[in-house]
Amino acid sequence: MDPADIAVVETPPEVSADMLEELIGWTLKPQGLCRDERCVIVPDRAVLGSDDSVSLPAVAELLDRPIAVDESAGLVAIGAEREQRRSALRDRKAPDFSLPDLDGTWHALSDHRSKKKLLVAFSSW
Amino acid sequence: MLLIDEDDMIVHPNWNAYATNTFKEFHGIDADAQLEAIRRWVRDGSTMVPAEEVAGAVDDLTDEEERGKLHFRLATHLRNAGDDDGAERNFALACDLAPHDWTIRRASMPLRGGDPFGAEFFELVAEYNEAGRPYHGINHAGSS
Repeated sequence: MDPADIAVVETPPEVSADMLEELIGWTLKPQGLCRDERCVIVPDRAVLGSDDSVSLPAVAELLDRPIAVDESAGLVAIGAEREQRRSALRDRKAPDFSLPDLDGTWHALSDHRSKKKLLVAFSSW
Repeated sequence: MLLIDEDDMIVHPNWNAYATNTFKEFHGIDADAQLEAIRRWVRDGSTMVPAEEVAGAVDDLTDEEERGKLHFRLATHLRNAGDDDGAERNFALACDLAPHDWTIRRASMPLRGGDPFGAEFFELVAEYNEAGRPYHGINHAGSS
């Protein structure tokens, strides 16, 4: 799960700590919640849940990501990091997103660097 | 739409524009003015929003709007899985949380068996106008 993505995962909101990486790409380590080279300090492990489980809403709050839970359906949706959105609004740097064309070929914004880009989003409703 | 320059900087935040004036009387946006603004930007780099006003020109989402988008995503996931009751539960919640978000309210109409061009659409328009046409973007309606 990329930090820029919204992820829908089929899981109850309380999960085994071992499942965290598979579900959201972050791992609970002694130094905190970690992904690649980045770690977020967990000030109080108890906030995340008991020793063998973690609360996804608590994890999302620590990572500054919005979350929605539908317990009856056993689904959790976790949004992109708020700071990514806020920094784009503040600093005006467009995120390097990728989208597929009609043939399924992916195109990244960075593929078009040094050109002016008109980005159109539309719906046929 | 929005304009991104050669260095991947957003030089004009998103705004509503149309390629034709077919529905101009309805939405109040002149297509000719928008198209000319785009041509002007391509030619000389000038935009409808002064550079110093671009940062901060678009308000961030509220907590409710964020959650609305996530419940919309849960709803489409459940709909695709054949759980119509679960989908409806989340569509309704998404619309309650983000009542003026057209990508939630209007987009959910056909997914919930409604008509995005029917009475409920015009109810949405009335609500939207009454609320002052809230939009996370630049409103150029009426500009020429």
